[in-house]
Formats: sequence, C-alpha cells, structure tokens
Amino acid sequence: MPENILSAENLSVLLIALPFCSAAFCTFIRYGKIRTVVILSSGGMLIAAALILIGRTPFHFSPKPIFGLPLTVAVEMLDFSLLSVILYLGFKHHSWIIKILALLQIIVLAYFEFFLVEDRVSPATIFCDHLSLLMILIICLVGVLICFQAIAYMKNHEDHLKPAASKQPRFFGVMLLFLGAMNGLVLSNDMRLFYFFFELTTLCSFLLIAHDGTATATSSAVRALWMNSLGGAAFIIGLVLAYANTGMLELKPVLDVGKVGGGWYLFGLALLCFAAFTKSAQFPFQSWLLGAMVAPTPVSALLHSSTMVKIGVYLVLRLAPAINGTFLSQCVAVFGGFTFLCAAALAVGQSNGKKVLAYSTISNLGLIFACAGLNTSQALIAGMLLIVFHAVIKALLFLCVGAIEQRIASRDIEDMRGLYADMPLTALMTVMGVIMMIMPPFGLLLSKWMAMEAAAGNLYVIIMITLGSALTVMYWARWAGTLMSDPFAGRFKPERQPLLTWLALGALCAGAGLLSMAAPWLYRGMVPALTQGYLPPFTSHSGILENAYGVFAVLPLSFAAVLGFAVAILAVKRASRARVVKPYLSGVQLAESGMFIGPMNRPAKAEAKNYYLSSIFGEKKLTTWINLAAGVLLTLMAGGTL
Amino acid sequence: MIDTAVFILIALTGGPLLGGFVSGLDRILTARFQSRIGPPLWQPFYDVVKLWGKENTVVNVWQAFCAYCYVAATSIALILFVLRSDLLLILFIQAVGAVFLVVGALSSTSPFSQVGAHRELLQILSYEPLLILVTIGIFLETGSFKIAGIYSWNEPLIMRLPFLFVVLGYALTVKLRKSPFDLSTSHHAHQELVKGLLTDYSGPILALTEIGHWYEVVLILGLCSLFWATNWIGMIVIVGVTYFFEVLIDNVSARLNWRWMLGYVWALGLSLSLVNLIWLYVD
Repeated sequence: MPENILSAENLSVLLIALPFCSAAFCTFIRYGKIRTVVILSSGGMLIAAALILIGRTPFHFSPKPIFGLPLTVAVEMLDFSLLSVILYLGFKHHSWIIKILALLQIIVLAYFEFFLVEDRVSPATIFCDHLSLLMILIICLVGVLICFQAIAYMKNHEDHLKPAASKQPRFFGVMLLFLGAMNGLVLSNDMRLFYFFFELTTLCSFLLIAHDGTATATSSAVRALWMNSLGGAAFIIGLVLAYANTGMLELKPVLDVGKVGGGWYLFGLALLCFAAFTKSAQFPFQSWLLGAMVAPTPVSALLHSSTMVKIGVYLVLRLAPAINGTFLSQCVAVFGGFTFLCAAALAVGQSNGKKVLAYSTISNLGLIFACAGLNTSQALIAGMLLIVFHAVIKALLFLCVGAIEQRIASRDIEDMRGLYADMPLTALMTVMGVIMMIMPPFGLLLSKWMAMEAAAGNLYVIIMITLGSALTVMYWARWAGTLMSDPFAGRFKPERQPLLTWLALGALCAGAGLLSMAAPWLYRGMVPALTQGYLPPFTSHSGILENAYGVFAVLPLSFAAVLGFAVAILAVKRASRARVVKPYLSGVQLAESGMFIGPMNRPAKAEAKNYYLSSIFGEKKLTTWINLAAGVLLTLMAGGTL
Repeated sequence: MIDTAVFILIALTGGPLLGGFVSGLDRILTARFQSRIGPPLWQPFYDVVKLWGKENTVVNVWQAFCAYCYVAATSIALILFVLRSDLLLILFIQAVGAVFLVVGALSSTSPFSQVGAHRELLQILSYEPLLILVTIGIFLETGSFKIAGIYSWNEPLIMRLPFLFVVLGYALTVKLRKSPFDLSTSHHAHQELVKGLLTDYSGPILALTEIGHWYEVVLILGLCSLFWATNWIGMIVIVGVTYFFEVLIDNVSARLNWRWMLGYVWALGLSLSLVNLIWLYVD
C-alpha cells in the first residue's frame, strides 16, 4: 500500500533516520564512488520525502518503543552520552570553560530527568506544522544541494591540500548527520528531544569546523563549541525553569495557549531566547561564526544557510506566541534590530568576501529576531519569508565564493576585480545573488518591506532597521560592481566547472528567482503556520499582496523586472558590437590596459580600490563597543523578565 | 485595466517631459543667480537628442546594461507613484536605479569613475535612511503607506511633520547631487573628479542616465507634493518653493567632503526625524 508507506509517520522517521544511516555508511565505507552514490541517492530521497510531506502537514504522533525501549529513555541515554563526548572534547582541548559547561549541563539534565519530570508518556514526541515543514524543505533542498556541490568541492580541496589519508569519509558523514539532526530538531515536540538535537548540531559544527586540522581550525572549532555549549546550558536551565513553573515539556501547547505563566517562567523563556542568540551567532557571540570560515566552503554554506544559525531564529519564532505582549518580546525586537544594524556596519568595513557574507548572515538573522520580537502576524510572516530567501541566496553566494576561491586562491573582494573576464558564469551568478539580496521585487526585499512596515510602530527598531538597510545596500553594491569591472571581455568565454557545481549553483540561483515570483503563493502556504490570535496580515489576489495600508504587487513587478532585464540584455548585445574605448585617464592613457603616461613621462598604472571606510566601520573600531552594548541589552532582557 | 494603462502611459511620457522642463528651469534660474542669461528652456532636451545621435562607444558592455536598468527602475518607481501604490516600495525601487548607476560606474577601471561611484554609494547611504524615516512619519500620521491613502488625508502633512519636511529637503539635496552634496558628480564645472560617477558613460548611454535622472526628479517632486496634498495650489506652491531653495542652496554653497556629508546629514537628519517621530508617537 503506497499510501501507508508514505504516511507522515514513516516520512518523518525517514527524514531523521536516513541521514543518520547514510552518515554511518559514508564514515565506514572508504570508497569514493560508493560514497558519491550514497550521498546522491539519499539526498534525492530526502528531497522527495520533504516534498511529499507538504501534503501531509500538519500531524503529530509518538513513535513506538524501539526494541522495547521507550523513546524518552533512549533520548535520555543519548543526551548523557552526547554531553560526555563534549566533556571529553573539553579535556582533549584543555578548555576549562567547555568542561564546566558540559558538567553543568549533565548535572542540570540529571536533576531534570531523575527528580523533576514526572514519568509520563508524551502525547506527541513528533510534531509538524507549517513552520516545521518550511524548515524541512529548506534543510532538505538547500542542505542537500550543498552536500552535492561538496562532492566536487572536496575532491578539489583534497587535491590541493593532499592529506595523508582522505578525510572525506568523516566529512560527509558529519554533513549528513547534520541534516538528520536538523530534521529531528524541527520535528521535535518533546523539548528533551529538541535539546538532544540542539546539542547534536553543536557537536556536528565543531567537527566540521575542525575538519582541516590546522591550528586555526582547531581553535575556531573549540570557540564554537564553548559558545554553543553556553547556549546549551542556557537552554537546559531555561527548560527546567519553564517546566518547574508550568509543566511545559512540549512546544505545541505553547502555541495553542500562548502566554501561560509569569515570574520564573518568563525568565526561562528569556534563557531559551539567549540560547537561540548563541546558536544564531548574534552579538557578542558572533566570533564563532566568523571563525567558522576556516572550514571548507560547503561547511560555511551549510552553517549559514539551512542549518545551525537557523535553529536560533526557528526557536524564537516558535516561542513568539508565548512571549507576545511581554517586555521580553520588546527586548528581542530591539536586540534583533541592534544586531541587524551593527553587523551591517561591520560588513561595510570588510574586504574579505567570506567575512562580508558572515556579517550579512548575522545581520539578516538579527532582522528575523527583530520580526519575532515585534510579534505581529505581519512581522512573523516577514521573519519566515526571510528564513527562506536568506537560506537560498546565502547558500548560492557561499558556493559561488567557494568556486571563486578555488580558482583565484583568494577570498578578498579586491582580488575579484574583473572576475567576469575569467569566470563569467560564476561571476554573473554571484551578481545575481547580490541583486536578489538588495533589490525588489526579489523575495528578500519583499520580506524586508514587510518587516519595515511591521516595525513602523516601534521607534527604536525602525530607526535601526532603516540605517542597517542603507549600510546593507552599500556593501553589496560595491561587491557586485567590483565583479563586473574591466577588463572588457568581448566575447563570452566558456567556463569549466564540475557538473555538480553547476547543478547546485544553477538550482539555487533559479530557485531563488522563481521563489521570489511565487512569493504570494509561498505566503499562502505560510499563513497556516500562524497560531491562534494571529490574523493573516495580507490578502493575496492575482499575485499581489495587499492590506489596509500597504501593497506589494509581486507578480506584476516580477514581470516588469523580467522585461527590464530582457531589454537591458538586448542593450548588452548591441553594445557588444559598439566600438570599445579605454576608460578615461585624463587623455594620457597608453594602449596597454589601465596604463597612462605618468610623472617623468614614464608609464604608470592607474589603480583605484574600494572604500571600506575602516576608520569608521573597521572591526577594531567597533567590535568591542558593539559587544559591550549587546551585553547590556542581554542583561536588560534577562533582568526585565524577573 | 484601461485606467491603469493610461496612468502608466502618462508616467512614462510625462515623466521625462516634466523632468526635462524642470531641469531647463533649473539651468535658467542658476544662470540668473550667476548674472547670466542661461540656455533656452528646452536645452536639456536638445542635449539628450544630441547625445542620442552620437556614436555608441563603451568601455564595458555591462555599462549599457546598468544604464537601461537605471531607467527601467526609475520609470517603474514613477509609474507606481502615479498608480498611487506603496510609498516604501517606491523608495526601494528608486534605490535599485541608484545602485545600478553605481554598478555601471564601477564596471569601468577609470579611477574617476571608481571614486565617483564610491562617493555616490556614500550619498545613497546618507539620504536613503532619511527618505525611509520620512515615509514612516507619513505612515504614523495618515495610517497608510499607500499614496492613495496619503493623498486623501484631509490636513496638509507639513503642519504635523514640519521637521520631517526639512529632513526631506536635506535628503533631496543629496539625492539631486546639489551643492554642497555634489560629491559623486556635479553639473557645475571644476569637479575634481571630471564627471565622477558619469565619467565613462558616453553617447546614447549617457543620454539614458539623463532621462533616468528626469524620472527621479519628478518622483522626488511628487514626494514633496505629499506634504501639502489637500489642494492643487498647495501642491504647486510647496513643490515650487522647495525646488527654488534647492537651486538657491546649490548656488551659494561649496562642496563638502564625504565625512562632513555623512556626519551632517545623519546627525542633523536623524535628530530632526527623531524629534518629529516622537511627537507623532506620543499623540
């Protein structure tokens, strides 16, 4: 019976268990071709399962005991063994802070499991609504595409580094494990299960960041581990407080009833938000995500787009109904706006492409937190749309930068000057990614528009978002222009890349464009994710999103954009036949590109570099103050709930 | 449907006509300030026609792409304004045009273009937040981002948003690249960057950027008109007075560097907006 096989229960189990099995397979079968087949086939199955799940949502259920062992007990055992592994890593890397945090978590968890929680059967361990579904689609589509591209990337990577023994088996094992953990996390209703997957992603990111085994890689990985362990500790303590005051052990009741308690309960929720901030690398915890770029680029792409950092925003969007109307919610909004602004400012000061991407991620996540904190239905929808579009476009941009880096051996924006001449297709896709980041009618700007109209009622947040957006335009536009800079290429030169790279880049680029056009329908799919008390913020008719005070004609504008691009492309064709002249150099240019008659009648090279304004926006200038301010805001948030 | 088509046609053709006309007035007015007679009113149109007839030369084919995208974005922004659509969205779309103009300049390696482009980015950075805050102020007063809703408000907005109107004036000076904020490119002579941002746009492509600019000018004047939208006379007066002051300031001030611009515009613009927005919030 095909319907039985493809039931929601079976699909959920498949989405969680399949990556785990394939991960084990990849780790232990050390044969490249078989590994590729395993990754491709399990990736394909994950995509299929996620797509079929669209028609099965919402649902919830509790799995049957595995070999007579109830799932809760199994999770308990897994939790403790996972924390033991982290404790072991603390000893291995001589990090006292990891040791302390791991021990703390073990003690709190033991107290929680053995003394606090009544032994009862969870009504629903697994629970999937439209928000979970959205996350699953992102994880399975974007995440799997990144894994596909990683096959080609890692081959190049190892050809270049030449390690004694290939480390790819473990690498792909962990990548797949990560996807499984993410699927598990977004499907969890039982908070103990959620916590297990939460910690598992911490461990996975540690392993991936440490992959290259260099000193910087190890120290970055250790930093990521302790910062996320801090989040883990905050999570479990927050959970204990929430449970002790309300008996909350599942996520679903939070959504159904909204605000249920006061006092320590709210402080518990504040701790959960704090845990989310560490996962999403908000200030002052941004350094783990910045350090993570030592890892091979597919890892960055995975961490930044579909996994890890999205856990934080997912968790806070989930908790939004519970904190609606509280001081905590306002604090989350202000904190998010603050991060959005400051990360954008820091991005302006960077010439390192990967760092620009990293700060832009932090910035966008801040905007999503701001949306969750604003807590109106329009803001929540904006947050969800941001998650989708940011995931797709950021994955695209990271993979592009990875491909560029393997070609030019640099990630500096200055070195990408005129890259169009060398890698036309990749450069164009990068520029497309940038355009989709900052321009309407593309989805990211649609979400930002929604967020701004939703934030209009909050003075602090709207001012920070406004300034942050202007800074955002600056650092992206600069990058796009640099890529398209001279030398004039004349004819389109073909560019060679592995097939899997083209597949991933093409799918992400086209996907982001098509999703943008389909945004009104995407919106309709998201409205059911809003819980009770949140009314649909827009009406959607013939591709136009409209409410009483705002309107965004997505589809008509998309057609206008397509038309505009088509005309512009024709203009490029015509310009290709036009006479090519040298850039203006005060009339003293020489035949050679970029040279002019300089002092003493000697040839000199004309050079101009980008403005990075590091005297204002440099990391050295700003980071300390921003971290300090973030610390103050977090203290305000936590203290205000008591 | 027919209505929409008519409005689109009005915006597409009326925009450049009105923009060119304003630009001609601007030149005559400037000339009179400088004790000259100045060119005929139609001079901007003659200029564009002449440029259009020139040989098509390019330094980089993508510059043509960017010029077309600039015109497309600015004209779509004006169309949406005429269709009385969402003001915030219109600002986003005009920003698209501004960004494409910068990207086009960056695609030439000439240091004049490059530095001009970066200065233009700083100008965008200066005025963009202010324009959005003005929009937020308008929303707080009228409860609508839709221009249809704003025009139907029964009280001139300038009464309740006086400081935001000043802020808008500030933002316009930067947006229109009027002195003291004509850093990226200047219509006066003796620009240290030759023609800055526009140095390597030439012939028909330069003509396009001029047409795009006309759309922008009309859009901006439309934005001003929102502040006294209760009757036609008010609209014309407020637009006329504002533009007169823009030209006056252009002629009596010297160019600032970008630090001054960013500092002045943000510090003064933000504090004025803040004060006015707080008034609206406490109401």
